Amino acid sequence: MTPDEKLRLLRSDVDLFAAAQPDTQLAALPDWGSLAILLIIVHLEEKHQLTVTGAQIRACRTVADLLALIP
Amino acid sequence: MHSSLSNIRVAGVAVTTGAVVRDYIADGLAAGLERPALERIAQTIGFRERRVAAAGVTALDLCADATERLLSEMGLDATSIDAVIFVTQTPDHAQPNNASLLHGRLGLSKSAPAYDLSMGCSGWVTGLHQAALLCAHGGAARVLLCAGDTLSRLTNPGDRSMDPLFGDAGSATIVEKTGRSAPLHFVLGADGSGAEAIVVKQGGARQPAGALTERTDADGNRSHDANLVMNGADVFSFTLREVPSAIQAVMRLAGTSPEVVDALVLHQANRFILSTLAKKVGIPEAKTPMAAFERYGNQSSASIPCALIDGLGDRLEGGTLKVVGCGFGVGLSWGAFAGEIGPLTVAPIGTFPR
Repeated sequence: MTPDEKLRLLRSDVDLFAAAQPDTQLAALPDWGSLAILLIIVHLEEKHQLTVTGAQIRACRTVADLLALIP
Repeated sequence: MHSSLSNIRVAGVAVTTGAVVRDYIADGLAAGLERPALERIAQTIGFRERRVAAAGVTALDLCADATERLLSEMGLDATSIDAVIFVTQTPDHAQPNNASLLHGRLGLSKSAPAYDLSMGCSGWVTGLHQAALLCAHGGAARVLLCAGDTLSRLTNPGDRSMDPLFGDAGSATIVEKTGRSAPLHFVLGADGSGAEAIVVKQGGARQPAGALTERTDADGNRSHDANLVMNGADVFSFTLREVPSAIQAVMRLAGTSPEVVDALVLHQANRFILSTLAKKVGIPEAKTPMAAFERYGNQSSASIPCALIDGLGDRLEGGTLKVVGCGFGVGLSWGAFAGEIGPLTVAPIGTFPR
């Protein structure tokens, strides 16, 4: 899956990312916080069969960093 | 650990909640938050109302009320109870345990042992296993299992990730020895490497009550060492990792499958977690009671009996259901069960003070 495809899937699955670009800062997203992290954990688990920790997500700065977690 | 116990039945269940109603949106507005954000979060997590204990009311009071109402509904005398097990992490005192205090309050027989299990959200299932063991192999004919907490007292009002979650409640469950051969199956487990993920640091022997320093996390949530704090993301990852496999294991042990079970009864952590878990194990949401969270909040070890009454009470009173369930949380720990439950006595959900 290309980075573009990963971003499209994330945008369609998690409302929070509807207008996100690769360089969007996660901390600048409206509603960014612990609930957003849960939504990302479920997205990665359901769409990419990928289990990540909260710390891995907290370590990401941008949307591109987040997408880079996906192999 | 896998365990299957025959010749026992769940004979009755009751839950008493705290009497104070807290509304998620109203509380959030009072804390200065904006309605649209509150509504978005309420929609995702399932926040609506919760019931918390009035000042001075403890888990012991809530469980005592549930027990008295259940014994009355069943027409039983307290002296017919052969043992009492009390699951709580918010006991009245460091010593003696809540089970002994309840034993004295209800006037149980001196031949009835009374002990606590220090467990949280997974504790009702572990307690049910203990009670079933005592009936199947331990010389008891009737065991009282009480499970409940007042976790709303432990969260910091400045911690928006924790404070809106918890309701206070006490449950009473009667387990009896019978000639019925259909077993109840259990899969119990723990992962102590995650012990720090849900913690109240202060108040035990390692860190006695003392000075408190409040800190603020990356999301602006405040807490100190006497508060219940949780690493939500790690607990969620743990839940997704362990709970579906425990449910699948207990269904295999019981020789049942998602198509055959009548209900999936989960610890009412929140609606978001419940619907994610139901999807993962392939059981429709229609078979998975979730409304108890929205009405009462996360009630720790009382939440599974509350979901049984709130979601399935009429059907359990009138007949037999193939039920699969799982409690999960602090420890970290989990307990899954599967088997036929009902018909049994279901007391209506009560509040204390009445």
